[in-house]
Amino acid sequence: MFELTNTPIEAAALRARLDAPEAGALTVFEGRVRNHHLGRPVVKLEYEAFDEMAQREGDALVAETESLYPGTRVLCVHRTGSLGIGDIAVWIGVASAHRAAGFAACRHVIEEIKRRLPVWKKEHHPDGAAEWVNCTTEAAAQPGADEYYARQTALPEVGAAGQARLAAARVLVVGVGGLGCPAALYLAGAGVGRITLVDGGRVERSNLHRQILFTPAEIGAPKALAGAARLRLHNPAIEVTAHDGNLTPANATALVTGQSVVLDCTDNFTARFLVHDACRAAGVPLVSAAVHRYEGELNVFAPGATGCLHCQWSGQGADALDAVGSCATGPVFAPAVGVLGIQQAAETLKLLLGIGEVALNRTRLVNLLDGTTLAIERAARPTCPVCGRPDGRAAPTGGDPAALLTEEQLAALPSVRVVVLLEPGESLASARYPAGAIGISASDLVRIRELAQHGPVALTCRAGIRSAAIARLLRAEGLANVHGLSRSR
Amino acid sequence: MSSRPLHIRFFAILREQAGCTGCEASSAAADAQQLYAELQQRFPGLTFPAHLLRVSVNERYATMDAPLAAGDRVVFIPPIAGG
Repeated sequence: MFELTNTPIEAAALRARLDAPEAGALTVFEGRVRNHHLGRPVVKLEYEAFDEMAQREGDALVAETESLYPGTRVLCVHRTGSLGIGDIAVWIGVASAHRAAGFAACRHVIEEIKRRLPVWKKEHHPDGAAEWVNCTTEAAAQPGADEYYARQTALPEVGAAGQARLAAARVLVVGVGGLGCPAALYLAGAGVGRITLVDGGRVERSNLHRQILFTPAEIGAPKALAGAARLRLHNPAIEVTAHDGNLTPANATALVTGQSVVLDCTDNFTARFLVHDACRAAGVPLVSAAVHRYEGELNVFAPGATGCLHCQWSGQGADALDAVGSCATGPVFAPAVGVLGIQQAAETLKLLLGIGEVALNRTRLVNLLDGTTLAIERAARPTCPVCGRPDGRAAPTGGDPAALLTEEQLAALPSVRVVVLLEPGESLASARYPAGAIGISASDLVRIRELAQHGPVALTCRAGIRSAAIARLLRAEGLANVHGLSRSR
Repeated sequence: MSSRPLHIRFFAILREQAGCTGCEASSAAADAQQLYAELQQRFPGLTFPAHLLRVSVNERYATMDAPLAAGDRVVFIPPIAGG
């Protein structure tokens, strides 16, 4: 519950209103009038509120906080009128089962009050002077902004002009999970002016080892809201919007249109194709990453890029791909999503600043287990159902079901040669591979192309992800003899 | 665009600068940005810089370039200082 009052706040009476036998914690924050501000003595404060709107915002804030921290009950009272030194200006109490949610909810309420409650205060000084807080031009112009970004603007490629470009940019992060959390955190720190987080999920305990925007206090909270709150703490100067829902065919175009860059941080192919197609239609650059266990891949699709997501996956249904490639529930090495998410942030900042080389014609494969990074030329498939068509519109077709073979399909193709892509230090004995398999160096694409001249080749590797990626890239080149071989789990 | 009635209220520093708590306007301003410029003509004391303002339309935050409709309640929000 949220209340405005012009009479003194009686804390004991408010505490009593939060008495509950199931509440193991009562967390209280009292904002008080202090006798100094910015080095000047203060004798009293006058608070003024836009009552109707403050009540509406306060009600919304309390409801939002109780949804962010499930099981909490929030009471917040804000004073108006004339207050003396030591008087309580705002009282926030949170009843909760445990302390973590109580502290976090209390913090959230006061931070959001300072961000959005239409309340003003006027300071009176001993000499009779008085002024509205934050309303001198110097105070309003984001105190400390220059220092916050100092080490970034010191980069000759960034400078003040680059910082202004970042401040003017709008970035959409689709998926606030293992990739989206670090990507968004770095974009916020860099000063991207407007960030929108899209995710309809709730924070689960099994997310926490890799989804670094969340703590145990947020378990059960809507990810978009919790993530946005965390980003605002990290950089209060930027505008963060939460979309508590998934990207859908109905909202994709509206969400993507007008963005400077979109990040695909999703964990399933249905969403990947959706965000890719929406970005393609709207002409918005897309920085896409995907991770499997210790490995990940990064693609930037933008006007001028070679090929599109459909060139690689070639009309295979999202359902079929999710059956073998989804990382929504599989095991994940947390630094892999961290590294790939931060690489997404890096590519996004490069696009926004117009610096460095953004690879529009290569797929980057990163393997944290052996520490290697491979950049593989990405070919546009002439028969691609999307970018190979003059209108560029998606036309799902039968596509290329042979790109990724199951072991059953392999058994039905006796002439296939199984090729294991070995990382340095690995041998055929390192894992269980089909009988008759030969091993070659993982980076030896020339050798794979040679083998494909002589007959069908099924590529595999320890996790099966890098080999599948290389297979579909080579197939996109026109080497229809090359297949990936899915690893049984 | 033809003129339509808008309801304006002033708070805090804007109230002091304008010298009143609000006014009725008949305005052809396309958006809040233009409306503020018109109000600055009408109230010469209203010198607070527009780029530091937010705006609410019908008690909800809006953008300075959002279109305004007849009867809208418009409040310009100088930097807040709650808590």
